[in-house]
Amino acid sequence: MFHRPRAGALLLFPGLLLMVLGFAVPSAAMLFAPPGVSPSDVFTRLTKMLTDGYDLQIIGRTLTLGLIVTVVCVVIAFPIASLLARSTSRWAGLWLALAVFPLLLSNVVRSFGWLVILGSNGVMGKIITGLGLAQQAPQLLYTPLAVVLGLVQLFLPLAVVSCYSAVAQVDRGLDDAARGLGASRLRTLWTVVVPLSLPGIVVAATLVFAGSITAYTTPYLLGGSSQRMLATQLFVHANVTVDWAAASATALVMTVLVFALSGIGSAVARAKGRVA
Amino acid sequence: MTAAAQFIDVSRTFGDFTAVGSLNLDIPEGRITTLLGPSGCGKTTTLRMLAGYTAPSSGTIRIAGEDATRLPPEKRNLGMVFQSYALFPHMSVADNVGYGLKLRRIPAAERRSRVAEALDLVGLGHLAAQRPRKLSGGQQQRVALARAIAIRPSLLLLDEPLSNLDARLRVQMRAEIRRIQAETGLTVVLVTHDQDEALEMSDVMVLMRAGHVMQSGSPAEVFPRPANRFVAEFLGYENFVPASLSASDGATTLTVRPEHLEVVQGEAPDGARLALPATVTGIAYRGVDRHLTLSAPRGEGEDDVTLIATVRADHSRADWRPGDRVTVSARPEHVVELAD
Amino acid sequence: MKARPIAAALAVLGYVIMLVPILFVVASAFTSSSTLSFPPKGFSLQWFGKAAAYQPFTDALVSSLLLAGCATALALALGVPVALGLHRGAIPGRSLLQGLFLSPLVVPELVIGLALYQQLMIGLGQTAFAALLIGHAVLLMPYAVRVTGAALTLADPALEEAARGLGATPWRAFRTVTLPLLRPGVMSAALLGFITSFNNVPLSLLLQSRDFGTLPVTMLDYVQQSYDPVIAAMSTLILAATIIVAVVAERTVGFTRIFGGIN
Repeated sequence: MFHRPRAGALLLFPGLLLMVLGFAVPSAAMLFAPPGVSPSDVFTRLTKMLTDGYDLQIIGRTLTLGLIVTVVCVVIAFPIASLLARSTSRWAGLWLALAVFPLLLSNVVRSFGWLVILGSNGVMGKIITGLGLAQQAPQLLYTPLAVVLGLVQLFLPLAVVSCYSAVAQVDRGLDDAARGLGASRLRTLWTVVVPLSLPGIVVAATLVFAGSITAYTTPYLLGGSSQRMLATQLFVHANVTVDWAAASATALVMTVLVFALSGIGSAVARAKGRVA
Repeated sequence: MTAAAQFIDVSRTFGDFTAVGSLNLDIPEGRITTLLGPSGCGKTTTLRMLAGYTAPSSGTIRIAGEDATRLPPEKRNLGMVFQSYALFPHMSVADNVGYGLKLRRIPAAERRSRVAEALDLVGLGHLAAQRPRKLSGGQQQRVALARAIAIRPSLLLLDEPLSNLDARLRVQMRAEIRRIQAETGLTVVLVTHDQDEALEMSDVMVLMRAGHVMQSGSPAEVFPRPANRFVAEFLGYENFVPASLSASDGATTLTVRPEHLEVVQGEAPDGARLALPATVTGIAYRGVDRHLTLSAPRGEGEDDVTLIATVRADHSRADWRPGDRVTVSARPEHVVELAD
Repeated sequence: MKARPIAAALAVLGYVIMLVPILFVVASAFTSSSTLSFPPKGFSLQWFGKAAAYQPFTDALVSSLLLAGCATALALALGVPVALGLHRGAIPGRSLLQGLFLSPLVVPELVIGLALYQQLMIGLGQTAFAALLIGHAVLLMPYAVRVTGAALTLADPALEEAARGLGATPWRAFRTVTLPLLRPGVMSAALLGFITSFNNVPLSLLLQSRDFGTLPVTMLDYVQQSYDPVIAAMSTLILAATIIVAVVAERTVGFTRIFGGIN
């Protein structure tokens, strides 16, 4: 019944209204002309941000930590995914479910765990002093390490799911063929499975990177004010100092970074997909 | 004849299911051995155990006299052609064929010449730079063959290699594989469910059912003398007559192929081993042949025996019609006695 | 070189990072001391009682459930027709529209939150609930459109044609054939949407008021004030509820499959 353009347009209209009035227009207004601020003020603040040492440090930290998190996630998620996708064990399903389950669980709850582990009275500190490695427990919370651990925990499930579907669509027969021709397990993985699942790996990396540089809860809880990242800085501008020009400039930087990343990611994935 | 590979008391179970039970089999060197049987008979499991993809539950597998039971596939130096061909989609045809040579650290120059040689052998030298997915099914099949041969394997294993090709190409490839085997002198093990393929291609055919060998031998030995009812049925013997209807000792059943039954009105020809009165119950027209279904009475209170005969149309007389009373007979050399 | 030992070691590390912190939260909820420390001293259930009786949490829980329910319903009510329209209709600029409906997945949620805070709450004087409802519905739109769209691509258009051939009116054919085929997709989208909304922090962060706050944001605020086992107990309760939801989801639609629809 929906083969006529007019019916199609009618179906789209209410949803489109929500997206335009509840998303596109407010976002554009906030990014370029927040209330009481002229677009030129936003632009001035943006140029200042891209030259100012403190702001650049935040951008640099956000990108560096994001990159580290991405690399760690892919390096850990791909082996998990390939073990699970190639497993014949009946427990493989349960392990996959265990890796996917955290996606359903609140980020707040997931990040709290690191407070217990890395906090001043935490497990890690006790282990370090208990082993006599240090007189006093070192500061672990509010360090780059804490943020990286928290973000890796946050994004590993996503990376595992993406890598899993990428590896699962590589025909197992190709593994057999490579082994039969003389390739070891590792060689098979490296010359056959990795190249053929590369588009999926790129997608996973893009999702993790974009997620890491926009995440709020984890940097807020585990990084605090000493490891400010773009998202936590945006919140300070918006809610503490109420400097809307600065908030818009920060939001612009974040948005442009994420869109650029997604664009590059999907272009690379498409190029790799063509090769295969 | 020396054995290129041997199965000694090999079995493989999956949970409660016995895929292969206590298999003893020698694969003769320099010949084509065919593992033939219906799906689920254990032929593919047997091949995968030989290749090293499936570990036997018990028993020993020897390749070239050496115990290879626990050897991983990459250490066996066997060339396997998969049913799906399993060509690497991200590599060119030449890179696919050269993959195994690269792993063997063959220098680039020699590698190139051996890739070219293998591709020439299958007649695809001109497609070396193509990606596999641009190729037709038949061409992909040849690439898979070249890739397996290029590593100079001690055995060439073919898992239902022709089943994804259309009928005409399949017949053509049978001759092609025979030619390649003759030129290279390779030992070949071929898995198939197609009796025609097995008859045409094998030096030795091994008929399997439910994980056991039912009969093995050359096509010339096996085809005219099936050892049991399963082999007879699989090879297209469709008529099974209780031995009580014809004097014979030892056997319980006699079997004859449909094309070896003679159907006449009146007396059976002299020297017939079997001669049964019967009634025509059905006729199917197959061009020059007539496919007759017949019913022969067995005796009081017992069901009639149904017979199937393929006979040439005889234009000197009227065609067969249902209800015709006839005599069905077979010459002694066409009647096989079965114990089961 | 064997791939397995290396892969297995990395996999173990991965599971430790994913799951062990959650176990620590649970363990520290049962302590009898009044500080969050590990190993927990003694055993007590008192913190669960305190968490359940703490009014800001209970109020926020009700708010979060209400918001998640309403936002999911709104997103599906608007998103399912969009999926149908995009799939079936000959719409000009279809890929552009598709991009618009999926873009909330890319735009940082904090940015959307700030935009709605400025334009709806300050500019138009709307309540926090209204701004949250719109924001969350926008956030869930991609799920509704894409998951339903995936179910639609699987539904053979010949089925609806067959129903028409058997005498069904277009609407009846749609209602009796296509709609039931969409049900699993819509169920998945609903479940995923509800959980996403319930757990959200960055979008909700700025859209809070004295009368209406969501549970995750209230919990974040609580940690900032005091750092005691009440928060571990509350987290454990959320974990328990999430496990129940996951098991139900696995039994009904298969939750590993739900995520297959998104990626």
